[in-house]
Amino acid sequence: MTSKFSTVFLASVLALAALLAGCSKAPSEADLNLATAKQKAEQCVEPENVIRTKHMDMLMHQRDATVIEGIRTKQHSLKECINCHVSATKEDGTPLHYGDKEHFCTTCHAAVGQKIDCFQCHADRPEVGQDPNYQHTVGSVEGHHFTQGVTAAAAPTAAEVQMVAQPQQGAAK
Amino acid sequence: MSQNRVDEYRRNFITALGGAAAVVAVAPTLLLREAHAAGEVAAKPADQAVTNAKRWGMLIDVTKLTDGGAGMVAACKKEHGWGDEAHSSPEQQAHWARVVKVTDKLTHNSFSLPVMCQHCENPPCVDVCPTGASMKRADGIVQVNKHTCIGCRYCMMACPYKARSFVHEALQDQKPHSPRGMGTVESCNMCVHRIDNGQLPACVEAAPDAVVFGDLNDPNSAVSQAMKTIGGKQIRADLELNTGVRYHGI
Repeated sequence: MTSKFSTVFLASVLALAALLAGCSKAPSEADLNLATAKQKAEQCVEPENVIRTKHMDMLMHQRDATVIEGIRTKQHSLKECINCHVSATKEDGTPLHYGDKEHFCTTCHAAVGQKIDCFQCHADRPEVGQDPNYQHTVGSVEGHHFTQGVTAAAAPTAAEVQMVAQPQQGAAK
Repeated sequence: MSQNRVDEYRRNFITALGGAAAVVAVAPTLLLREAHAAGEVAAKPADQAVTNAKRWGMLIDVTKLTDGGAGMVAACKKEHGWGDEAHSSPEQQAHWARVVKVTDKLTHNSFSLPVMCQHCENPPCVDVCPTGASMKRADGIVQVNKHTCIGCRYCMMACPYKARSFVHEALQDQKPHSPRGMGTVESCNMCVHRIDNGQLPACVEAAPDAVVFGDLNDPNSAVSQAMKTIGGKQIRADLELNTGVRYHGI
């Protein structure tokens, strides 16, 4: 009886320890698959630390301005994020969708355990049907970046910067 | 002083132009074509909010629609990407616009007309919405703000024109300019993305001889002039909703 109990106890302790060990592993650069993002970070509509911590606020503000007031500026528009950062297909030519690990938004959201519903309605890749060159390159004629000045957005707080720079221990992988 | 003189010259010039346009507008055969002269929908600066200075509307001449409006509906489908819901029954399918056939029981005279959101001045769908998602924009466009729509479908019940539909299934590869997804109600939004961009709605472009689009607040706009000349009937005018979409020949 005693030996059986201790076996069960030992097994549960081991399982718990394994679970904790798995959780405490912070996502590394390789896990985050940030190649696409880093490639274009220099040319983004806001500095990297601002966009990392505030992009959700900008998108939230922009969506109401667009739908309710008809303001269609491109700087903080989700459509332009997608046009610039997401390619229409994967390397093998199949469609690239949110949820695939190559998708620009998924790379970080998966690492930080974030669940969003933007792409239940919004297109998650540029439309290539009519114009194969629809995905514009930053700095091209289509480029609209920095037209309104990068200081328009509120700077992230020190805590937010630190959170992004050093992912917290125990962050879901 | 010299600047004022230039302004005065311009004013006279523009007045003369307006007079010339009015003369052209009197000729009824040219009326509908003239509406599509450039500038009927002026592009708004992207960073400015819409105002109630304009109220968008259209006049559909059913007698000039050879296909009963099927072409207009097809253009809408193509523009917004609706109608291909694989798992929805015919009753559940999206219908931003549909062709309605009307037959007189006595004479058997029948005709077809395209029916979509009528963009009422006093929209019942906005009255009943519990979240404010069903909304009328300042320029008179009635639409669903899908960010706040909870899919209760009260607006579908309230609409006397059966203009709204509900998305029953998960969608993928929507049009980037026209987001639509499961659990929200949708309807004709007068191609709001095109209007903000200075373009005509897709259905108006598809039937240039039969539809006049423009600003109902401006008595000199092509659509106002056309309605003054040939009239513009509302469907269910008895409801006194003052619709933005009017018909001729019904």
